Amino acid sequence: MTWPYKDLIAIHDLKREEIATILDMASSFKEISKRDIKKVPTLRGKTVVLLFYEPSTRTRLSFELAAKRLSADTTALSASGSSFTKGETIMDAAYNVMAMAPDCIVVRYPYAGIPRKMAQLLPCSVINAGDGYHEHPTQALLDMFTMKERFGTLDGLRVAIVGDIMHSRVARSNVYGLRKMGARVVLVAPKTLLPPGVDTWGVDVSAELDPVIPDADVIMMLRVQKERLNRQFFSGDREYSFFYGLNRARVEKMKTDAVIMHPGPMNRGVEITCDAADSARSMILDQVENGVAIRMTLLYLSLGGSVNVD
Amino acid sequence: MNDQPVNTKEVNDILNNLAGTLLDSIQKWEDVVFIGIRSGGVLVAKKVVDLLEEKTGKDIPLGALDIALYRDDLSKMRFYPEVRKTDIPFSVDDKTVILVDDVLHTGRSVRAAIDHIVDLGRPMRIYLMVLFDRGGREFPIQADFVGKQIDLSDEKIIKIEASEDTEATIDVIICEVNR
Repeated sequence: MTWPYKDLIAIHDLKREEIATILDMASSFKEISKRDIKKVPTLRGKTVVLLFYEPSTRTRLSFELAAKRLSADTTALSASGSSFTKGETIMDAAYNVMAMAPDCIVVRYPYAGIPRKMAQLLPCSVINAGDGYHEHPTQALLDMFTMKERFGTLDGLRVAIVGDIMHSRVARSNVYGLRKMGARVVLVAPKTLLPPGVDTWGVDVSAELDPVIPDADVIMMLRVQKERLNRQFFSGDREYSFFYGLNRARVEKMKTDAVIMHPGPMNRGVEITCDAADSARSMILDQVENGVAIRMTLLYLSLGGSVNVD
Repeated sequence: MNDQPVNTKEVNDILNNLAGTLLDSIQKWEDVVFIGIRSGGVLVAKKVVDLLEEKTGKDIPLGALDIALYRDDLSKMRFYPEVRKTDIPFSVDDKTVILVDDVLHTGRSVRAAIDHIVDLGRPMRIYLMVLFDRGGREFPIQADFVGKQIDLSDEKIIKIEASEDTEATIDVIICEVNR
């Protein structure tokens, strides 16, 4: 098998069969985390640097554990503790990190395009851990892996993504990936939170949640991103929750085997109630568990073999 | 070039002999488990376990080991190998493990397999059983149970496959290495 990329920047770049390969391999890597000794020697001697210019709990921990379980050395740098606060540009920071010869840089950045730029300019592997409103490819892959584990296939699956689509890189990556894998996607959001051009994405769009629920196999709730919603997109948390929150009454209208997903962190009581988040349908912690397996797979594939970079 | 130096009947004889030797050598079958190295080793292990279960009337646990993540040549390869699942549905702690591979050559696969097994637990001991020993060792590793010694030049490889005509046999194929 050949893996043609040194980097992972966007689901948009991947072909259907490449996504399928990742999802197949992830179940092999998942088994490692179930052992008493959760470590294989595969990436011994490789160095993975995590550059996080935005807060993160799950993604950063997940990448770090994934790298360590493959025996890579990891070190993490966050914006608050770095020279970024002294005015150093991200590319200067990247060149300085590169001078210390890492094999892979995992980067999260508040604006789109920086991971791609780094991938083009640096000889090491670059994995996008979320850039602005662009993409969060490993999140979409772990979401698809979780759905595939549950339903056996993504083909024909009806997936509703609910919430702040406009500011969501998770939604974009999932839309690209799910469509390539044959799932049918419906985006649910108030019109103020739909991005311009959404009609060209090849998905259904609904301004109302209730009519979508009975047909959905997966309901993926997005976080109300308070840090990004500095303008007025809706009247308030209570109104949002009333129209778009997943609560007990709505959960009861879901299909028998339908599931609830959320990329985290949750705002309990806003987009999702405790009834829904903690229900038997909730796959939220499965998503977190699967995140480690997906990131192990990507580190393995991205760091494999030699790839020439001009 | 593609020839079949070992015919179906001979393979069946070799498998029967291996099962017979194991029956003579091992007294306590309660703690014995078989682990095959994917994919040829699993095939051989399955055949031998079937024979032994027939003869002892006991259920003998069989697991499959994928050694891709334990290879020592990963940093030298242009592309990493596909990773398949290690599937060992039992504990190896305090067990007598019969590690099975189809062909013993350099010994590197066996080294990787032993490293993998000790990551899963602490077996009482590990025996190595192979269908063919073709020599050419690069590591100080020898098999405890060998089906047949075969002399082959380095340009050739032996592959085994599940036979298509009947479930009961294994096909052995010798071909040139693709370099």
